[in-house]
Amino acid sequence: MREKETVLRLNNFSLTYKTQKGPLQAVRNVSFELKEGETLAIVGESGCGKSSLARGILRLFPRNLEKVSGEIYMDGQEVLSMKEEDFRKNVRWTKISMVFQGAMNSLNPILKTIQQISEPLIIHMGMDKISAYNRAKELLSLVGIPESFAERYPFELSGGMKQRVVIAMALVTHPKVVILDEPTSALDVITQANIMNLLKLLKKELNLSYIFITHDIATASELADNIAVMYAGEIVEISPSEVFYSKPAHGYTMMLLDSVPTLKTTKKLKSIPGSPPSLINPPTGCRFHPRCQYVMDICKKKEPPMFQKGENHYAKCYIGESHE
Amino acid sequence: MNNSILLKIENLKVWFEIRKNILTPPMYVKAVDGISFDLKKGESISLVGESGSGKTTLGRTILRLYEPTDGNIIFEDKDITKLDFKSLSWYRKETGFIQQDPFGALAPHFTIYKILEEPLLINKIGTPAERRDMILKALEEVKLTPVSDFIGKYPHMLSGGQMQRVVIARALIMRPKLVIADEPVSMLDASVRIEILDLLRDLQEKHHMSMIYITHDLATVRAFTNWIFIMYAGNLVERAKTEELIENPLHPYTKALLEAIPDPDPENRRRMRKVPEGEPPNLINPPTGCRFHPRCQYVMDICKEAIPEDIEVEKEHWVRCWLYSKG
Repeated sequence: MREKETVLRLNNFSLTYKTQKGPLQAVRNVSFELKEGETLAIVGESGCGKSSLARGILRLFPRNLEKVSGEIYMDGQEVLSMKEEDFRKNVRWTKISMVFQGAMNSLNPILKTIQQISEPLIIHMGMDKISAYNRAKELLSLVGIPESFAERYPFELSGGMKQRVVIAMALVTHPKVVILDEPTSALDVITQANIMNLLKLLKKELNLSYIFITHDIATASELADNIAVMYAGEIVEISPSEVFYSKPAHGYTMMLLDSVPTLKTTKKLKSIPGSPPSLINPPTGCRFHPRCQYVMDICKKKEPPMFQKGENHYAKCYIGESHE
Repeated sequence: MNNSILLKIENLKVWFEIRKNILTPPMYVKAVDGISFDLKKGESISLVGESGSGKTTLGRTILRLYEPTDGNIIFEDKDITKLDFKSLSWYRKETGFIQQDPFGALAPHFTIYKILEEPLLINKIGTPAERRDMILKALEEVKLTPVSDFIGKYPHMLSGGQMQRVVIARALIMRPKLVIADEPVSMLDASVRIEILDLLRDLQEKHHMSMIYITHDLATVRAFTNWIFIMYAGNLVERAKTEELIENPLHPYTKALLEAIPDPDPENRRRMRKVPEGEPPNLINPPTGCRFHPRCQYVMDICKEAIPEDIEVEKEHWVRCWLYSKG
């Protein structure tokens, strides 16, 4: 088998926002690689910076952006320093697209399904209406929407159908990478399972790479080949999902796994005390140390580097490391 | 344990009328359509269903926040179905309600102290000093300590989890016999949810209250309530003790629900989930017979024609499904 190509690589990507209380580093030194046909899940509590990271990759910055640094490589080309106009024309939505959180509720209420889906083709690729509509129809059948729904308005669609429309909109321009920001969080469990089935199918058929953002560790396992855990703006652990669920290395990951309710086991659940720290004045040393049940002296003083814990397995944690 | 029945629901129906205009005959949204069950003292039920299944309507009707269309609600042998607003005041003291959205449930211009004092004042309970004692104790119970830090605060100064604790304290301050919690943790962060559920269960057991916990999330109910009731399109399709229902689900809809919930397992990404297509029906014109039949993989002719009976297949395990009918 040939070596899988790297489609997206982040190197020390950081985002700082301006706030009244001072600069807030929402994303800090994030680095990872995404290979074709693979899924990286990014998990973390709300406020850990996972949505900021997702939007940041698409260069959708909020107005109070203070500083952005690092590198983003798409197909080997650095895109963070590109001119905005070039990025919009050649990268955003054509190479990498996104399913936004709650997007199903922000469909344009006065556009029919078919218009909704063909819009990116007309705007980003300059297609004429007829070929755009034909391409949109292909997409409809691909995401499992009956053709008769093409003429419907969003209010005539159920939640699951709307989510399929949003997924179709993200795929219509043939991107290689799709960022999924909580794609099922507002859906019922059975609908959620149906959408996950669809995403698995699409990934296989179109050889897509996903970045799957979720707060739900159980749902992450539905798609993830690799899992990155974010805490207070940083990736604190990244590992293949087989390792993630069986041999977590970071204190935060261990405690997260202990807090996941499961159906098939009767283990006693433990919650993580406290709440995530302020990103304006983060704790010294390891940012998780005030909440960590395995905290040691060194955690409070010195920020842990990224240790290699195994094959493709890295964690910013002193547990199991010899240190002075 | 005292096993007497606290709440008895008999063939309860709640239909909402909708009219397109005054000339056409009215149509009805049959949100709750023929539900019966008993709740014993000190026991708890998880009422599980998808959105639109009628679980919130059922909960609110039991609290008499909605008018039932038909059927009976019997609380401690007293029929409260038809009581008017004034005659219900004793019932309000016996019941507590925990809303889904703590951000909307607390008056923004009241301090925490005032929020908790309100039910006591309305029901003319205690002297000011006694009320103060009760409020401080209630806050301690929900672990908002040190209490003196919290009584002077306004809701916006609290986090979501702390606000939900205040809502719980307010619901329980009258020591109700029945508490209905409608998705009490769905607006909260995952890491706080277990804490709040644990707290709620501990208080329920400590005060020997009965509880109905309304949720769409089967994964959180396992260690939480004695019973699980599954609702689909306005009907209760299956009722059993928690362990029994999870280990031995009978109704095809219950099976689908359980199949749909992911457990953290890296193998998940390599398999497709066997769940039914489609979504719950429109409740204005629900399907005839069993309401699940258009999505059911075991559908038979009879399912399309007749509504299945409530059958006790095993002891304390009821299901409404023709697959288990002995006829």
